[in-house]
Amino acid sequence: MQYLVQLLISGLAIGAIYGLIAMGFAVIYKSTGLVNFAQGEMTMITAYIAWTISTTVSGNVFVVALGAILAAVLLGLIIERLVMRPMLGEPVFATVMVTIGLAVILRSAINFIWDAYPHGLDIGMGRGIVHLGGIGVRTGQLAVIATLLLLLAAIWAFFRYSKVGVAMRAVAADDRTALLMGISATKVHALAWAASSVIAGIGGVFFALSYDLSPAMFQLGLKAFPATILGGLDAVLGSGLGGLLIGITENLAGGYLGSGMKEVAGFAMIIVVLMVRPFGIFGERDIERV
Amino acid sequence: MIKHLTAAALLLSTAHLAIGPAVAADPGITDTEILIGDVEPLTGPPALLGVAASIGHKIAIAEANAAGGINGRKIKYVLEDDGYVTARTIQGVKKVIDVDKVFAMIGISGSGQSIAVMPVLEKSGIPTVIDVAPVKFLWEAPRKNVFVVGQSYEEGIIHLVNFLADKNPGKKWGLITQDDDYGITVRDGFDSVVKAKKLNVVYSGNYKKGQQDFSSDMLQLKDSGAEVFLAGGIIAENIAMMKEIEKLSIKPVTGIFWPGRIEPVLKLMGPAGDGIYAVDYVEPFAGTAGKAFLEKAKPLVSEAEFKGINRYTMTGYAAAKVLIAAIERCGKQPTWACTIAELEKTKNVETGVMAPISFGPGVRFSNQKLQIMQADAKTLSFKPVN
Repeated sequence: MQYLVQLLISGLAIGAIYGLIAMGFAVIYKSTGLVNFAQGEMTMITAYIAWTISTTVSGNVFVVALGAILAAVLLGLIIERLVMRPMLGEPVFATVMVTIGLAVILRSAINFIWDAYPHGLDIGMGRGIVHLGGIGVRTGQLAVIATLLLLLAAIWAFFRYSKVGVAMRAVAADDRTALLMGISATKVHALAWAASSVIAGIGGVFFALSYDLSPAMFQLGLKAFPATILGGLDAVLGSGLGGLLIGITENLAGGYLGSGMKEVAGFAMIIVVLMVRPFGIFGERDIERV
Repeated sequence: MIKHLTAAALLLSTAHLAIGPAVAADPGITDTEILIGDVEPLTGPPALLGVAASIGHKIAIAEANAAGGINGRKIKYVLEDDGYVTARTIQGVKKVIDVDKVFAMIGISGSGQSIAVMPVLEKSGIPTVIDVAPVKFLWEAPRKNVFVVGQSYEEGIIHLVNFLADKNPGKKWGLITQDDDYGITVRDGFDSVVKAKKLNVVYSGNYKKGQQDFSSDMLQLKDSGAEVFLAGGIIAENIAMMKEIEKLSIKPVTGIFWPGRIEPVLKLMGPAGDGIYAVDYVEPFAGTAGKAFLEKAKPLVSEAEFKGINRYTMTGYAAAKVLIAAIERCGKQPTWACTIAELEKTKNVETGVMAPISFGPGVRFSNQKLQIMQADAKTLSFKPVN
C-alpha cells in the first residue's frame, strides 16, 4: 500500500508541473486558436531567469518569485509583440511553424546566455524532505500540487467573473464579434501570451526547485502537450487536471509495469481517450485541430 | 642543348615532387598556418561535453602556438556545431574538410555521430584523432587515418563493476540504463561481469532517453532491496536518481560512469552523492595532475571557457597534444601520409592528464589505463581510490 501511495504522490507532484505547463498551452489556444510549440522553451527560460535572480540578486523566495513572474510577463509580451503579432491573419500552419522556429532559438539561447551545466535552484526552501507516514516527499513537491490547485480555482474565477476573462472567452469564441463589441483582440492576445508564460513559468520554477535546471528542461513541454490534449486543448482547467492524470498514469505504469512503460503510458492513455472523446476530456466539440 | 633542358626540367620536376606537392596536395596548410577542424555539440544538453572538449583542444593549440606553433606555423582551429544531430555532424565534417579545407580532424561529437561520420573520414583520408566518445566500432577494424584516444565504454563498466563486486561480495545488485547505444554498451559490460561473477541482480531498469522524473524507477530499486546500484544515466539523469534515493531514505553503494563524472554534479546530488564510485581514465581535478592542468589552462582560455572545463577538456587536450606532436615530427613540410605515419609511431606520449598515450602499427586505439574514484561531497571532488 505504501508503494502505491508513494507512486501516487510522486505522480501528482510531476503531474502538477505538467498541468501548469499544459494550462499555458491552453490559455494561448483558447485566446488565439494557436498551439504554441515553444511552451516548453518559455518554461525553461523563466526557470533560468529565476535561477539567475537567485544567484545574482537575492536568494529570497519573494524576490525570486516576483522577479520570475515579471520576467515571464515580459517574455510573453515580447514574443507576442515581436513574433506573433506580425503573423496575425497568416495561415495557421505558418504561425505554428513560427512557434517551432521560436522554440529552436530559445533552446539555443540557453547555451549562449547561460551554459550546458545542470544547476540547482536554491531559494532556501522546497528542497527539504518531509516524511508523511513513512513516505518521503520534498516540500517543493507539496507546494507545486497546492499551487496548481490554487491556480485552477483562480483561473476558473477569472474566466467566469472578471471582465477581462469574459473578454478573452469572447475573443476565443468569435474575435470579429468581440471586436464589434469593443474588445481589442490584440490586447487579449498579448494578455494571453503573458498569462501563459507566467503559468508555465511557475511550473518550470517548481521543476527546477524539485529536480534541477538543465538545457534538457524544454522537454517538459513535450510531456505537458499530451496533458493539454487529454484535458482539452481549449480547456484551461481541463489541461491542468490532464497534467495530474498523465503524471499519475506515468508513475503507476513505471512502478508496476517497468521503467520502459513510464514514458509511453501517458501517450497510450491519450490515444484511448481521444478515440472516445476526440476533443479531450474537458474540451469543447467544435475546435479546429492543427 | 635540348639534352640539358630536358635534364633541367627533370631535375625541377623531381625537386617539385620532393618538396612542393606536399603543400599543393594536402589542404589546410600554408606557409604561416595549419588548420585543424572539429565538429562538436555546442548547443543543447550534450554541449556539456562538446564545449568542454573543444576547450581542451583550444588549450593544447594555444600552448603550441605560444611556443611558436608547429615548426613556425600557427595552428588555426575550425570548430562547427552539430547540436548532437547526426545529420549535422556529417554535414559539418564535410564542410570543414571540403570548404574550410582543414589539414587534420580532432574530437568529433558523440559515439553515434562519430560512427556515422566514419565513411566520410575514411574516404577523405584526412588524419583524425577522436577523443570525445570512444566506442569499439571506431577502431575495430582499424582505419588507416583514424586514431582514438581513450578507453572503451564497455571496458570502463567492466572495470567499475568488477571493483564494486570485489568490494561488496554477496550483495544484491540493481542497474538502470538508457534506451540507446550508450545504454546498450553499459548493459553489455555489466552483463559480462554478472555472468562471470554470478552477481545477484534484483533490479534492472531501462529508461527512455530524456526522462527527467525517476521516482517510480527508484521506488522499484528500493522495493527490490538492491544494495549495490549502477546508475547508468549520463548527467541530469544520475542527479535525479540520487535525489530520489535520498528522498526514499536508502543508501545503496552506487557507481556511475565517466560521462557523468563531472564535479558540479556532486553539488546538485547533495549528500546523496557522497561516496559514490566512478571510473575514468583521466585524472581527477582534485589530484596533483588535475590541479597542474587547471593552472596551465588558466592563462590560455577566457574566464567563461575556464568555467566550462571538465573531464572532456582533459580528453580533448590529450588528443590535440598527440596530433600536434605527430604533425610536428613531420618537419617543415607535413603531409597527411606523414602525419598518419607519425601518429602510428606515437609511443608513451605524456600529456599530464592521463596515462601515456601509445598507438602502433595497425593499432588505432590508445587503450588508456582506468582508475576508480570516489566522490567527496564536502570538497565536491572525486578522489582516486587506491
